[in-house]
Amino acid sequence: MERISQSQLAAMIVLFQIGSSPLFLLASEAGPDAWISVLIGMIGGLLLLSLVTLQLQRRMPEQDLFDMIERSLGKVAGGLLAAVYIVYFGYKAVRNIREFGDLMILYLLPSTPLWFIILVLLAVAAYAVFQGIEVFSRVAQILLPMIVFIYVALFVAVCGTALFDAHRLMPVLDNGLKKPIESALPELISFPFGEMVLFLLFWKYADRTGGTTRTTLLSYLFAGTFIVITTIFILGSLGPLAEFSVVPLIQIVSLVQTADFIQRLDPIVALLLFGGVFMKMTSYYLGTTLLFSRLFRIGRFAALFPVGVLLFMGSLAFRSYMQHIWFGFEKNLKYHFPIFQIVIPVLLLLATMIRSRFEKNRTTPS
Amino acid sequence: MKLWNALFRRRRGQGNSQQRKAAKQDGRSGKAASRESEDGLSEDIDENLRTIVTELGGSDDLTIRKIDVSGADSIVVAFIYIDNLVDSAMVNQMLLHPLMSEIDDTPSGESSEEWYRRVRDRALAVGRVHEMRTAREALACILEGHTIVFLQGSAVALAADTSGGDRRAVEEPGTQTVIRGPKEGFTESIKTNLSLIRRRIKSPRLRVERKTLGRLTQTQIALVYLHGIAKASIVEEVRRRIDRIDTDSILESAYIEEFVQDAPFTPFPTIENTERPDAAAAGILEGQIAIIVDGTPFALLAPVTFVRFFQSSEDYYQRFGIASFLRLIRYVAFFVSMLLPAMYIAITTFHQEMLPTPLLISLAAQREGVPFPAIVEALLMEITFEVLREAGVRMPKVIGPAISIVGALVLGQSAVQAGLISAAIVIVVSFTAIASFVIPAINMSIAARLIRFAMMILGGTLGLFGIMSGLMVLLIHLASLRSFGVPYLAPLAPFVWTNWKDAFVRMPHWAMKKRPPTIADGSNLVRQSGGQKPKPPGRKSKF
Repeated sequence: MERISQSQLAAMIVLFQIGSSPLFLLASEAGPDAWISVLIGMIGGLLLLSLVTLQLQRRMPEQDLFDMIERSLGKVAGGLLAAVYIVYFGYKAVRNIREFGDLMILYLLPSTPLWFIILVLLAVAAYAVFQGIEVFSRVAQILLPMIVFIYVALFVAVCGTALFDAHRLMPVLDNGLKKPIESALPELISFPFGEMVLFLLFWKYADRTGGTTRTTLLSYLFAGTFIVITTIFILGSLGPLAEFSVVPLIQIVSLVQTADFIQRLDPIVALLLFGGVFMKMTSYYLGTTLLFSRLFRIGRFAALFPVGVLLFMGSLAFRSYMQHIWFGFEKNLKYHFPIFQIVIPVLLLLATMIRSRFEKNRTTPS
Repeated sequence: MKLWNALFRRRRGQGNSQQRKAAKQDGRSGKAASRESEDGLSEDIDENLRTIVTELGGSDDLTIRKIDVSGADSIVVAFIYIDNLVDSAMVNQMLLHPLMSEIDDTPSGESSEEWYRRVRDRALAVGRVHEMRTAREALACILEGHTIVFLQGSAVALAADTSGGDRRAVEEPGTQTVIRGPKEGFTESIKTNLSLIRRRIKSPRLRVERKTLGRLTQTQIALVYLHGIAKASIVEEVRRRIDRIDTDSILESAYIEEFVQDAPFTPFPTIENTERPDAAAAGILEGQIAIIVDGTPFALLAPVTFVRFFQSSEDYYQRFGIASFLRLIRYVAFFVSMLLPAMYIAITTFHQEMLPTPLLISLAAQREGVPFPAIVEALLMEITFEVLREAGVRMPKVIGPAISIVGALVLGQSAVQAGLISAAIVIVVSFTAIASFVIPAINMSIAARLIRFAMMILGGTLGLFGIMSGLMVLLIHLASLRSFGVPYLAPLAPFVWTNWKDAFVRMPHWAMKKRPPTIADGSNLVRQSGGQKPKPPGRKSKF
């Protein structure tokens, strides 16, 4: 079986978590306290991760989501639930693809048809999925330092041009804690912090399974802190404007001007987002493909094409970027995603615990 | 179903007939082989000579020298060798003269058995003497430049290694030149090349395994590695892949490279080649396995990682500061040579807003009268340059200046003045070309050259997004490559800290305490003891 090292797993988790999150101002309803919402969401996600998702994996270290479902629910119901998960992961991939494609049209290629951009992107992702998780994790390992470095350079540039003003974050908690908490739960757990459920498909590939929990938590904390800092930067640089801009980060960067030479950095940021979104989307694509190939008992290569075609059609189904964003933030985050990220894993965990208790009871007398 | 059965059966029938045919061929060759192995030498000297001469079709360069001592019946000796393959002075001095004096000393009435033993043990004054029992063996030895000595009444012949003839002397290598460092280069002779390596690594652990490849060329190749430092599994893998080769000819090490490399379809080299014995020795000392091929000065080194192609042997002979700086320059040059024209096309076509306004205006003014879009312009110039470069390599040396005049003046300056292309693209293409010469390994710069064209098309159709997608594909591809099982991007992914000391920068020699664990055997990594950092005298501690 393919194996990935702990550092590769960490790189995958960090890139997956960062992914497309810096594109948006998360929890924008909370106003200047949005970063507190993000912090709360991160802690909530941490609880979910450490108490549910990772517990599942620790109980069944050599199994992936498919095995867990099948073991708890049996063949038929399990297969059905796995199919539902395929839809969920595929849908997440579709959302990432669509976000990315629209972003490219907005900032880099205004006159290129959307379907062509999506096709190219999917082709690159399909190549990565074709090569498998080992190669994909190596790619993550190489991209992570680059992406983090560019973000840091960006923050330094923003600070250097005096765009950042901490006063825009004041007053802290003007309306009390209620508003930030309301806007954090459950939306921020759904996106981006609860998405770690995907790694139920990847964890079993990690070598030294004993270290997986620690690696996962550390890299999750790193990525979470990173997202909090990004939110602080967006709020501190744009203030109330942040709520209205399509992609706040690019808005900030377009305001950076240094040394008369660097005047427009926004294509660079669009490319930076390329890295993040690509990794996240390919993770979902890979996850969907793995689950698909398990469910239908076909090879990864054979599963690659049907999944790719479904993703391609799915990503063109939204009428516009605005509809896509509205649907995502208003419907999916509140009602749909928590089912897959919280409810089902908790039920699975309960089922496993009851079963193990039952088995223990049965074995002790004999 | 019936149809399927019919088809199936028919196909199976065909398979059977093919199998039968193969079996028949096997049988034939098996019979042939057994006949040859039965083909022992006879005791009659003339019959042996006749066999050899017929086998070689009476080639005119075959020389036969027969010494017949009248009266003594048993003393008939024949030498047989190929004229131009042997060192004739050696044949005369080392074989003929001693044998003559031996004949003079022969007591009469000696049996042919005793006489044979005397010749074998005393008379032939060369280092390597083999006993030949079959005509086939003898033939192979003759073709390698040995001299065969037949003795009347003995069914065993003696082969003396007298190979010689004209060979190129050890010269300074034409590729991979250095300012400081040894000036010796490999030659076409495998003997010389092995001696050049042995002289650098005087360790009993240095192992040389010789093999013969190529049914017609019978090319000698040698695997050279350090026992206990090269990973045994990799040595075994190299051996296995080389033994699998079945071809009629090996004329250059590239033949072997293409047979044994891991990924057949990739622009990137997964086996290193070098003309420098010091580079080969350095590779062997790090655990690589050298494959030396007779007839070419280029030795192969495997396994190899991506970063290795950006190291020049001079990096280790110059001070580490400048060596590290130059190494970083090479990486920059690699990306420039791969991406610069594509970036130019993408930015001038899609993302003009990225440029500062004055630069944008000056570029636009240059391009005003140019009839082509940027991508066509750039492709035209790149192809022109590739033609020039190829002309420069292939043409007779005497015509050199003419090409440079045509290239520089006519194609560069006049094309701009005539308004066919803009001056900016000339600058871009020239800089790209120069950058591609900076990469020390020519096979890596060729990879960049090929990828450049793909990138240009991507940049011309999808702008920066296209280039980014191309780079992503490239990265995935590189991450999937392996060289004899070693991940190609080794020190980066999977991350190996020890290798980083010699990947993008070169740390001082005293700081590189260990051999690269990706290549060398993990149980024997320590290269030198620690704490060898030079200190001024009298100072005990760091502070």
